[in-house]
Amino acid sequence: MSKRRVAITGLGVICALGSHTAAVWDSLRAGRCGIARMDSVDLSKLRFQNGAQVHGYDAGKHFEPKQADLLDRFAQFALIAAREALRDSGITLGAGLREQTAIVTGSCMGGQSTQDTAFVELYQRDLGRVHPLSIPRTMASAAASQISMELGATGPAYTISTACASSSHAIGQAFWMIRQGAAEIAIAGGSEAPFSMGLLKAWEAMRIISPDTCRPFSKDRRGLILGEGGAMLVLEPLDAARARGARIYAELAGFGMSSDAHHITQPSVDGPVRAMRAALRDAGLLPEQVGYINAHGTGTPANDSIETLAIRAAFGAHAGRLAVSSTKSLHGHALGAAGALEAVCTALAIREGLIPPTANFNAPDPECDLDVVPNLARPAHVECALSNSFAFGGLNAVLAFRAHPN
Amino acid sequence: MMDENSEKVVSAIASVKHIPREMISLDSSLEGLGFDSLDRITLLFELEKQFNISVPDDAVPALRVVRDVVEGVARLVANASLHPAASEGGP
Repeated sequence: MSKRRVAITGLGVICALGSHTAAVWDSLRAGRCGIARMDSVDLSKLRFQNGAQVHGYDAGKHFEPKQADLLDRFAQFALIAAREALRDSGITLGAGLREQTAIVTGSCMGGQSTQDTAFVELYQRDLGRVHPLSIPRTMASAAASQISMELGATGPAYTISTACASSSHAIGQAFWMIRQGAAEIAIAGGSEAPFSMGLLKAWEAMRIISPDTCRPFSKDRRGLILGEGGAMLVLEPLDAARARGARIYAELAGFGMSSDAHHITQPSVDGPVRAMRAALRDAGLLPEQVGYINAHGTGTPANDSIETLAIRAAFGAHAGRLAVSSTKSLHGHALGAAGALEAVCTALAIREGLIPPTANFNAPDPECDLDVVPNLARPAHVECALSNSFAFGGLNAVLAFRAHPN
Repeated sequence: MMDENSEKVVSAIASVKHIPREMISLDSSLEGLGFDSLDRITLLFELEKQFNISVPDDAVPALRVVRDVVEGVARLVANASLHPAASEGGP
């Protein structure tokens, strides 16, 4: 049996760049950065001041109070993105389709802001008890459960946690399920909400947060900027999408994974190279067919130079002809949601014929000698693209996209 | 003879790396002692706690030998006693 091809027919996103896809695309196109002073924590207790938060977020606009009681912020973002993605796809989950609909979500930290609050009450305020909804709010799989409950999707549903590659792994697994016939519809992506004091202090201690902003590949880059949000893609067989006349953003063509087996935080060249090659192989693509890479591009000194070496190793001479941008410079590093946010950016870049820039770029670095699309979005017909996610602990996931003529 | 601050720094390094103090001198390079990036941030965490100081992120890459750490700590301790508020918050 030949493998089915897979189409992306719905997008949903909420992040620092906007609370729906059109707003996010406007920001990407304009290179408008979502990084600002954090407003939900006591900044006097932190060494860094900036983050990429969802501005003006009001849960009450999205959820009835009773539903919101059960939802940590990370699950809210997942639900908001899933609703938009399904609506955008034009699919109605009727009785027959529900049990063939898969939900695969990624999250690095799950509902840790709920946990943070609970532990403040327990250890600091000495209340002697923790809110009874703490467990159902905190569990990392709550997002998958809440999406499946709200949409009535009763097919395979699970959550993947591979640090900063979580939602790329989630989308890749969902893609393979559609391709193999294990599901007819998949809603896949991820969400994260890391802006609570306990977690921010833990990131501060890692000493990799930029004191100002995120400048991937720039000589003066000083670290990453944390972000929050959710992003979901609707995947379905290409033939089914064509048959119902759906708008097809792009074809999801390949997925590659690898492990560095090297170090719990330091990046390596070899693992990412193998993941990129695996994605190309899985998609049946030659390196020369790729025009754009949405880089992992965290803005730390180590990641960006190592990723440059990996791209050069995987693409050889063609690396010099690639456009490579990091949209983390705009939406921040949303950890377990990052891969999904960047998959949305990549699908839109292909669909709209415009490559989003690497923002905040000041000066070229000889160790990052790629065409990083500095500061200004660039019109380009992109036939094939990759989206890279290289997590702490060396867990790598790469998605391959191909343009689809509509 | 090492002074008290140097002794504390050496003890912290021995504790972070789980190695005998005798292996560590002021001229030992952190790299030679097997320090990776996580060992560095763990050492700074321990020193910040012990000395009640705040080490700016930018200072980290310049720390090559144990003496650099000892001198950096001494500067921050002196600064903190001159300007108590400056030890809070960081850069």
